[in-house]
Amino acid sequence: MSGGRKNGRREKFWRGVGVSDGAAVGRVLRVGGAERQNVYRATLEAADVKREIRRFHAAVRLSRRQLVAVRRRAEQLLGAEHAYIFDAHLLMLEDRKLIDEVEDYVRSERANAEWAVKVVGDRLLSVYAEINDDYLRERGSDVEDVLRRLLVALGGEHAPRGLTEDAVLVAEELLPSAVADLDFAHVRAVVSDAGGWTSHTAIIARGLGIPAVVGLRDFYRHARTGDEIAVDATRGEVVLRPSKETAAKFREASSRARSTVAAPAAPAGAAHAPTHTRDGVEIVLRANVELPAEYEGVRRYGARGVGLYRTEFLFAQGGGAPTEDEQFAAYAELARLCGADGARVRLFDLGGDKLLGGGETAERNPALGLRAIRLCLRREDVMRAQARAVLRAAACGRLDLVLPMISDVSEVRRARRIVDEERERLTGEGIEAGAVRVGAMIEVPSAVFVADALAREVDFFSLGTNDLVQYTLAVDRGNDEVADWFRSLHPAVLQSISRVLGAAGGAGIPCVVCGEMAGTPAYAAVLVGLGARELSMTATAIPRVRHALSGIDAAGASEIARECMACAGADESEEVVRARLGERWGDIFPPKSLPPPKGEGYNFGQVGHTATTKP
Amino acid sequence: MQERRVVIVNRLGLHARAAAKLVRAAGEFASVVRLERADGGASADAKSILSVLMLAAARGTELKVTAEGADEAQAVEAVCRLIEGGFGEES
Repeated sequence: MSGGRKNGRREKFWRGVGVSDGAAVGRVLRVGGAERQNVYRATLEAADVKREIRRFHAAVRLSRRQLVAVRRRAEQLLGAEHAYIFDAHLLMLEDRKLIDEVEDYVRSERANAEWAVKVVGDRLLSVYAEINDDYLRERGSDVEDVLRRLLVALGGEHAPRGLTEDAVLVAEELLPSAVADLDFAHVRAVVSDAGGWTSHTAIIARGLGIPAVVGLRDFYRHARTGDEIAVDATRGEVVLRPSKETAAKFREASSRARSTVAAPAAPAGAAHAPTHTRDGVEIVLRANVELPAEYEGVRRYGARGVGLYRTEFLFAQGGGAPTEDEQFAAYAELARLCGADGARVRLFDLGGDKLLGGGETAERNPALGLRAIRLCLRREDVMRAQARAVLRAAACGRLDLVLPMISDVSEVRRARRIVDEERERLTGEGIEAGAVRVGAMIEVPSAVFVADALAREVDFFSLGTNDLVQYTLAVDRGNDEVADWFRSLHPAVLQSISRVLGAAGGAGIPCVVCGEMAGTPAYAAVLVGLGARELSMTATAIPRVRHALSGIDAAGASEIARECMACAGADESEEVVRARLGERWGDIFPPKSLPPPKGEGYNFGQVGHTATTKP
Repeated sequence: MQERRVVIVNRLGLHARAAAKLVRAAGEFASVVRLERADGGASADAKSILSVLMLAAARGTELKVTAEGADEAQAVEAVCRLIEGGFGEES
């Protein structure tokens, strides 16, 4: 965890997944979770049972009135199609199965209605928890939502929301009605720990233009209602108790988001058309995906498939390595989602702490330790299971494998041999295996130097700029203290990228550039100038990158990139980008859209974070 | 009694929104309408959304739709049409 080492008041950074663009600064309002009311058992006198059942029916009626109002409101704001979820809630509330069972329980056990609702509800939820389909299993959260409403109604209180003018909702998991119930005018942003956010909630947040970040994992327990919080959903960043400087930067991002929000609002059809620069060079925009919550964005923002699928989240769910079948289910869903555009699945990019478990294995220098491909080759059982799952899932669609943190050709050869062996084994077992191409993640300087040799051994390159910057400049991207040294436009970084793209071109293999740079329009323009023709980014970034790249010409970008590479240092190359982009395409890159000079503005590199899989 | 088999065709399966449409449709009829997984798994009262959701019917699941009562033929027809039409969702 970065930040917060000295005391609880220091600002702390989290990184999650933005599912609704924008930025905001406000105050935490915790909802759900621990604040859920405790339910106690009371035993009734026989004479009181009838009255208890009447009280239950009154609560059902009250809940019904609320839901009808919520549905009407959602209909007005979002249209009938999205309001339908509340129709489902109404049906659940009035379901004979629920009502009869609660009544029976009150009668037979002489229990208070709250307790009966809890017992019957838990029984229902346990059945949903066993459903063997992610999407359908998540419907349990709708049932939970209805039960919660019933319990509040039984309590006879309208839960005081304590909404201030600048509330940022913080939840472990935000239930759809919690969003719809709220006075949207006062909600500045929404953040949640869970990643498997029901798409309804994401749709509602987007429909209302409220920034939303999910997948923060452990933010909820750190936040207290009333704490100051800064959110930049466009970058997936959340800061608790931000310093004055950080708050100011996020406020600026907020006004910038509002001023640029109009540009990318292209008609649905245009979102899926290929992206061309003004001089006719096609740029393929793909999506980086980590959590199932992001799947919808892949379609919505018109990504040409998934350029980087991070598999580490599979570990986060259970604990311990996921089984081959669990992985197969996840990859097959991905393959079906992406269709002909395909997805590139990265092998577990984990450190030893995650795979081997326990703090006793802690390394002094985990970023340079036993991780990623090194760990995969050490724990062949884990790698073989993952390779088999990908090979099997590739029979449902187009999937490729990416080897993370390659530093030498020997790793590529060993990994390919394992993949080939598993393919043969599957065939021998009569199990269909798809055609999986194998690519190398280029992010370590040694790989940059031997890129020509590597290009002959793999089917494609994935250039990971986040780690390339970290390893090239020797800057821990999780350490706030050195954030000023994280310079994506450092000439050494740009020369490395250029060299890798050249090696791929020479060998005739594709090279997709993934990482923060690709999703930032100004940097994306530089990448195109360096020769990148495939970029992969958070899906929500695609519209603004598409907008920017459609307005530049590749020849001009190439001149800017060459000028940057020739600079002596990062300050100069950043200045070149700022000046030249503004001169050539001022309408697309107004002054505020560019990385401000170091030391006074927003840090366009990585901020610290607690929750990513990298140390 | 009327009976017919149908396969769930919409991408997300019999999820909350689809189930709500189905329950509303079944509720229009006087007959008792039931859904049963053709693999012999769960069966459900088509007028109870909680029970329908418990079928966990993902895309590709085959269901047996039965109805018994005065309007049984129309009930089976209406429910099957909805399922076969993918609940009007994009697939």
